[in-house]
Amino acid sequence: MKMVVLKVPTATATARASSQLQWRCSVVAVAPTTVFLNMNLHVTGRERGKWKWRVKCSSGSEKGVVNFGPGSPLRATNILVVGGTGTLGRQIVRRALDEGYDVRCLVRPRPAPADFLRDWGATVVNADLSKPETIPATLVGIHTIIDCATGRPEEPIKTVDWEGKVALIQCAKAMGIQKYVFYSIHNCDKHPEVPLMEIKYCTEKFLRDSGLNHIIIRLCGFMQGLIGQYAVPILEEKSVWGTDAPTRIAYMDTQDIARLTFIAIRNDKLNGKLLTFAGPRAWTTQEVITLCERLAGQDANVTTVPVSILRLTRQLTRFFEWTNDVADRLAFSEVLTSDTVFSVPMAETYNLLGVDSKDIITLEKYLQDYFTNILKKLKDLKAQSKQTDIYF
Amino acid sequence: MNAAASATAATSSVYSQTQCKLSSDFRSKIKCLLFFNDVHHRKSRFLLAPRAAAPNTGNDSKNENVGDEEKREVQKQQRVIQQQQPVSLSLDDVNPVGLGRRSRQLFDEVWRKFSGLGQISRTIRTDDQEALDALLVREGPMCEFAIPGAQNTTVLVVGATSRIGRIVVRKLMLRGYAVKALVRRADEEVVDLLPRSVEIVIGDVGDPTTVKAAVEGCNKIIYCATARSAITGDLFRVDHRGVYNLTKAFQDHNNKLAQSRAGKSSKSKLLIAKFKSVSSLNGWEVRQGTYFQDVVASKYDGGMDAKFEFTENGDAVFSGYVFNRGGYVELSKKLSLPLGYTLDRYEGLVLSVGGNGRSYVLILEAGPLADPSQSRLYFSRISTKVGFCRVRVPFSSFRPVKPDDPVLDPFLVHTLTIRFEPRRQRPVEVNATMKQDLRSFKLILEYIKALPTGQETDFVLVSCSGLGIEPSRREQVLKAKRAGEDSLRRSGLGYTIVRPGPLQEEPGGQRALIFDQGNRISQGISCADVADICVKALHDTTARNKSFDVCYEYIAEDGRELYELVAHLPDKANNYLTPALSVLEKNT
Repeated sequence: MKMVVLKVPTATATARASSQLQWRCSVVAVAPTTVFLNMNLHVTGRERGKWKWRVKCSSGSEKGVVNFGPGSPLRATNILVVGGTGTLGRQIVRRALDEGYDVRCLVRPRPAPADFLRDWGATVVNADLSKPETIPATLVGIHTIIDCATGRPEEPIKTVDWEGKVALIQCAKAMGIQKYVFYSIHNCDKHPEVPLMEIKYCTEKFLRDSGLNHIIIRLCGFMQGLIGQYAVPILEEKSVWGTDAPTRIAYMDTQDIARLTFIAIRNDKLNGKLLTFAGPRAWTTQEVITLCERLAGQDANVTTVPVSILRLTRQLTRFFEWTNDVADRLAFSEVLTSDTVFSVPMAETYNLLGVDSKDIITLEKYLQDYFTNILKKLKDLKAQSKQTDIYF
Repeated sequence: MNAAASATAATSSVYSQTQCKLSSDFRSKIKCLLFFNDVHHRKSRFLLAPRAAAPNTGNDSKNENVGDEEKREVQKQQRVIQQQQPVSLSLDDVNPVGLGRRSRQLFDEVWRKFSGLGQISRTIRTDDQEALDALLVREGPMCEFAIPGAQNTTVLVVGATSRIGRIVVRKLMLRGYAVKALVRRADEEVVDLLPRSVEIVIGDVGDPTTVKAAVEGCNKIIYCATARSAITGDLFRVDHRGVYNLTKAFQDHNNKLAQSRAGKSSKSKLLIAKFKSVSSLNGWEVRQGTYFQDVVASKYDGGMDAKFEFTENGDAVFSGYVFNRGGYVELSKKLSLPLGYTLDRYEGLVLSVGGNGRSYVLILEAGPLADPSQSRLYFSRISTKVGFCRVRVPFSSFRPVKPDDPVLDPFLVHTLTIRFEPRRQRPVEVNATMKQDLRSFKLILEYIKALPTGQETDFVLVSCSGLGIEPSRREQVLKAKRAGEDSLRRSGLGYTIVRPGPLQEEPGGQRALIFDQGNRISQGISCADVADICVKALHDTTARNKSFDVCYEYIAEDGRELYELVAHLPDKANNYLTPALSVLEKNT
């Protein structure tokens, strides 16, 4: 095991320095009609080149892969979760712990440490994907990596989502990680104008080319996100912001995603496959708001922002150099203008995984659970406050 | 860098029309990064010392970073919001510092929401995140693992660092239980293995004093410690005495708690009779009788006799012989319970007896005390072993003598009878060379107690099925384990004894499980599944007072299926344990 720790950082360090040892970024001519025009992914901050490119990973198994020979066999229960503090990540961690995995979480060093992960029984290791030298040590003794990290919207998108992921995948390859699970976004191949989706798509390809044993899971939307966005404001009688976009998203419960993920991981037939997880039904923003209103029993104070304004803002912010970051953030509005449907028929996937479709929670049920629980809690609070009134 | 340059050159023709735009794009990116730091810096300054900012205008200097057009856009939105809010003025409201701060907050809020619309992923602010987590992830009812009642329950996990114990601890934490862990040494290694909010108690199950501290404040115990070696001393200490020590300490703790409330522990047994002195035999009455009253039977009578006496060794012995066909002798007493106690709060009897291994019939007479003619008889057959043993007889195993009578109501029980009859006696295997006369008996009585009822199990013990143990040591290991199980069974605590097949270290929930009684299983099982059963059993009424074997489902060869085995697939969505256990025997 010592050997792994000592050897690998040097390998990756050289890889980073020359970007030649294990993989190359070759810039391939792309037809002008294709959509790589706006992309300028730079590999490291140090390299001052600017290019349009398509990622190609040539880290074949014949080169650069360190084979350490037969050692102590690695238990398949040793997994590393990257991004364990996120909405999906924490459900993955919980699910894994409950199923008896030994879970290690890679989290960024931060002043307020992610104590809840440790409270659940996971081991937390500190590393930063944007500092590749911190990665290798965290992979020692790991069988499977589950990568559900995504950069926060407020930080430059490329540090974690591209450079960090590339470093992580390289490192996983070099250290002989046996399975890599990557979460991507549905339709990411169709919307290269959105930086995050473009990066996810490139990462998918990079992972495929790396030769790692992997599963790519494309996701549509999380039900958990809707609570903060619509349900809470409606209950608090605050204004709800929505768009008039015709885009439909098949929201899914992150607990279901986590459950299906582990079924997929254990199924060796799914190695190298691309799976898309979608919820039972696709919803527009307006439909979700209406549903919330019905369940909460009160009308929402909806502020509808036309997608055209969002687009306009994005266009304008793109115009100025210093607001480009803002533009990146608003990039999803480009997708919103099209009436794309973020959904796929799941029958085949259910079949493949051996899951019953009725075990997957619907948005109606999910929100209903939420509102009944919350309204009950509010009622209890009211009852309590009434009781104290008596003493006046 | 070189590669990049050449590549750019090679493709420049293709991109010539976009080159200009692109380079500007890239330059802007660099600037943007620089600005990003700047923005960040300013933002944090605002947060830390808001008064330092210029308070005179509603739109603060942060707007400089945002495009002009966009600013107008946002202002528009902001105006909409402001119009909606009722206007009330006070001296505080016109304070310029306050105004500036509030308008800034408002702007931030509006901008956050606005920009949120155009994003795929959203950051939830930390305070929101906390509130949501509480409901959706941690203890809320929306959480997949949530168990009502978990929050008020403290579980002691004994052997928390074992293969099963580790997972048990995690599962308990996920479900919101308070967890105590008994470990032998608190090394860094051990502490790292356990979640941080687990309360660690250092101690050894073999040492009653340390165990005492461990059970302090606990509601339930999961025992997954096992001897590290097959050395007899280890086995005795951990698998046998360890369980005994814990049950004892736990009962003591329950009693102590009950005493502090000036009551009696609902988990302690009720003493019905204790045979410690000559006077304790008072009230017990020896009777004899026959089932047949015909002349033919009496003609072949060999006679019968029985006596109940207190010997010099300090034993209360009920002994005698019945040579009559259809004859019986019995020992009977009217029960006198302490004031305020009724048997309906108990679920059965436990007898501590010794003797020569005959079987007996326990008979309870129930009915209103005032009118003995209305009494009904209920019986249950018990078998004893050669030497001392404890026999559990649940009230549910008593059947009415007249089949039409209603089921036994323990509240009405007033007389207890132990009957010996020569019918249906099985020869004891101990000393085959000696000729046994099955018509004679000897029963040494130590005590008779009533077992408390309860809904849930108090003590989950992970034992073993004996599979996968090295054959030369199997006998010894099983002996210690069974002794441990026995001491748990007679403690009066609600128990669940899980006997898994050989443990495998793999994720749980993958394969169907078989729950069975009677040492018939042949497969292994994953540690995680065993852990799941332990945790589920804590609140499952069907798990109380049961022992069962569990292993993976297996496919029997054709024609060799001995039993129909019902498999249960463990899944979080369904509760597999209740249906699986409800078909199994209780008090096993």
